[in-house]
Amino acid sequence: MPVETTASGIPIYAVPALGPALPEIIMAVGVLALVLYGALRGERSTGVVTAAAIALMAFTLGFVLTMPAETQITFADAFITDGFARFMKALVLIGAIVALAMSREHFRRAGIDRYEYPLLILLAAIGMMVMISANDLIALYLGLELQSLAAYVIASFHRDNARSTEAGLKYFVLGALASGMLLYGSSLVYGFTGSVSFPEIAAVLTEGANPGVIFGLVFIAAGLAFKVSAVPFHMWTPDVYQGAPTPVTAFFASAPKVAAMALAVRVFMGAFLTIVDQWQQIIVFIAVASMFLGAFAAIGQRDIKRLMAYSSIANIGFALLGLAAGTQQGVEAVLVYMAIYMVMTLGVFACILAMRRGGVELETIDDLAGTARTHPGFAFAMAMLMLSLAGIPPLAGFIGKYYAFWAAVEAGLVVFAVLGVIASVVGAYYYLRIAKIIYFDEPVGAYEPMPGFLRGVMAVSAVFTVGFWLVPAPLVAAAGVAARSLF
Amino acid sequence: MTVTAAFFYLFAGITVASAIMVIAARNPVHSVLYLILAFVNSAGLFILLGAEFLAMILIVVYVGAVAVLFLFVIMLLDVDFAELRQGALQYLPIGTVVGIIFLVELILVLTTYAFDPALLNLPAAAERQTGVTNTAQLGSVIYTKYVYFFQLSGLILLVAMIGAIVLTLRDRPGVKRQDAAKQAARTRETSIEVRKVNSREGV
Amino acid sequence: MITLVHFLTLAAILFTLGVLGIFINRKNVIVILMSIELILLSVNINLVAFSSYLNDIVGQVFALFVLTVAAAEAAIGLAILVIFFRNRGTILVEDINTMKG
Repeated sequence: MPVETTASGIPIYAVPALGPALPEIIMAVGVLALVLYGALRGERSTGVVTAAAIALMAFTLGFVLTMPAETQITFADAFITDGFARFMKALVLIGAIVALAMSREHFRRAGIDRYEYPLLILLAAIGMMVMISANDLIALYLGLELQSLAAYVIASFHRDNARSTEAGLKYFVLGALASGMLLYGSSLVYGFTGSVSFPEIAAVLTEGANPGVIFGLVFIAAGLAFKVSAVPFHMWTPDVYQGAPTPVTAFFASAPKVAAMALAVRVFMGAFLTIVDQWQQIIVFIAVASMFLGAFAAIGQRDIKRLMAYSSIANIGFALLGLAAGTQQGVEAVLVYMAIYMVMTLGVFACILAMRRGGVELETIDDLAGTARTHPGFAFAMAMLMLSLAGIPPLAGFIGKYYAFWAAVEAGLVVFAVLGVIASVVGAYYYLRIAKIIYFDEPVGAYEPMPGFLRGVMAVSAVFTVGFWLVPAPLVAAAGVAARSLF
Repeated sequence: MTVTAAFFYLFAGITVASAIMVIAARNPVHSVLYLILAFVNSAGLFILLGAEFLAMILIVVYVGAVAVLFLFVIMLLDVDFAELRQGALQYLPIGTVVGIIFLVELILVLTTYAFDPALLNLPAAAERQTGVTNTAQLGSVIYTKYVYFFQLSGLILLVAMIGAIVLTLRDRPGVKRQDAAKQAARTRETSIEVRKVNSREGV
Repeated sequence: MITLVHFLTLAAILFTLGVLGIFINRKNVIVILMSIELILLSVNINLVAFSSYLNDIVGQVFALFVLTVAAAEAAIGLAILVIFFRNRGTILVEDINTMKG
């Protein structure tokens, strides 16, 4: 609201409170400084810029964790920070830090270690933080585009590689179409509710929704489904995962998925919670279709990155089941699921990045054959991560799925929870097949020695996966606090 | 009222027709020209709605920058050798048509506006009563109330700049460039060598 | 009398044409990028029309930022297209097919 109005009718506004957005501001100022440094020093600065980008994100992560958990709103209601935002931002920053740190060695060998890569990761991270804190449709769109545009560029970052550029082009075309649909939906929602702000939209919708809003909601759901790569907007995922440089795929599979999921929670729980009956069926359909497609399409895959793409589609399906519940428990399930999923995914990609022989990246699952004899530690970690993705108790992946099913059952979606269990069993087939290849097939040959950082990520991820059921309390409690802040 | 309706149907009809041609044209250069026509007509619609500033931005940014960028890329990629080699003249008829339609509209709008300005400000009447122009209205909020979005779009443009440069800029070895510092640093000693050349022996 | 419905119908037609342009196009990728611009144009018409009829400036602010982002998106899309062309020597839609599965 304007503080006063001048004689000529121009409103004057108070300076907005910057405190709640300090993490984003720190990141943005840091990026600008690093852009200048990189531009002045040229290609020699890659090492320094990468290290500085990791330090900047680590500092911001610390800052986010020390922020108070109560809800604060600023920038004309466009920006919200609360327990949910804190939890999700911490996850996103951890994902981005790990993905960036894993990339350096790989990029140097491929001859594409340029200083722009850490900068684009930082800008994407800012975009994801904006998405998580979005409290109106314009902030939602701008955050999403900031993240997506950076993602299109890093997908085609290996610009002399035909596959990488093809991945970038496919990602761009389909991503831009999804943004267009999301925007069209946003424009309808704005027009028929008269506001872009989520709380105001929610207030208007308590009196019932007119068909225009429902129409807009469907378009928004379609756009968001693309960004989380859920059926029927998943077509880009396998090609982009396969074509993009592996560290970039590791990034795509971790932080942006979490951020897009957070955005979906903000939109459906923040703005449209009052018309949950209208969207529950859509989300349930998307969730169940994603679980089954992910499970069945993965069976014939030989390429491990494509396999991970279908795995991510299936996993997003389980997380969406939590969202479809439309309850506080559901949100808690989404948070727990995404946290566990991200740790597992980063661990698997650390393993994939370590699969090199004679300077060549290995990409098929047959290259894992017999690693139990040549690299017992690697084989154990990979097998545990695969079993966890399959949802074998008592590994972490099982606990995540358990929360999602439990939330769905509590919300009365029993049939769909049962379907989820069936899809999970089908999916277990291909994860178990990989475990079998690792342990029972004849070894092909040893890999190159694994870089220390990858070894660390793999170890932490494997320990987390195996030991999570012993001490689930910290994560579950944090997710509970975060979910409560939305209601 | 009827004049507004006539303008609406004129602009809307041409926008739709040129949008159809954008996706139906066989030649990408024609598509871009039709895209320009669609944007120009949409700018007319924006003016009908009282959004003058966005109408101008649409023409400056889209016709001036984005469409020209498209044209550059099409030329750069040399997409359709057979068609492009027939010479630039083949775009003359279509370019003329686009130009004439644009011109006629411009004249129509300007002359009608001169006759009766009240005809054009139908839906935005409330804004006019406050005495604040559309541009001033937008200007008074985007740097203050919506400063967050303004800064975010700045970051988005930064991503676009970094992205376009990192993807397409190449340092080709062997390309000779001017280096002013090197030129200025030359001295007589580094550039001239004096040798005694005996006659009839050569260097 | 021109009402909001007229503008919404126009935007809907443009949106449909844009989506159609992406799906029925079998020739080249540049036309797909132009179809995306058409979609964004339809969104802008929607936003400005709503803004005008609700007498609320927010819609125009939204449209302004959509325009900004659309320009950035076009720049990146064309940059990716240029490097794709450098690698493959083609921009035909049917040639974007090295990965299958």
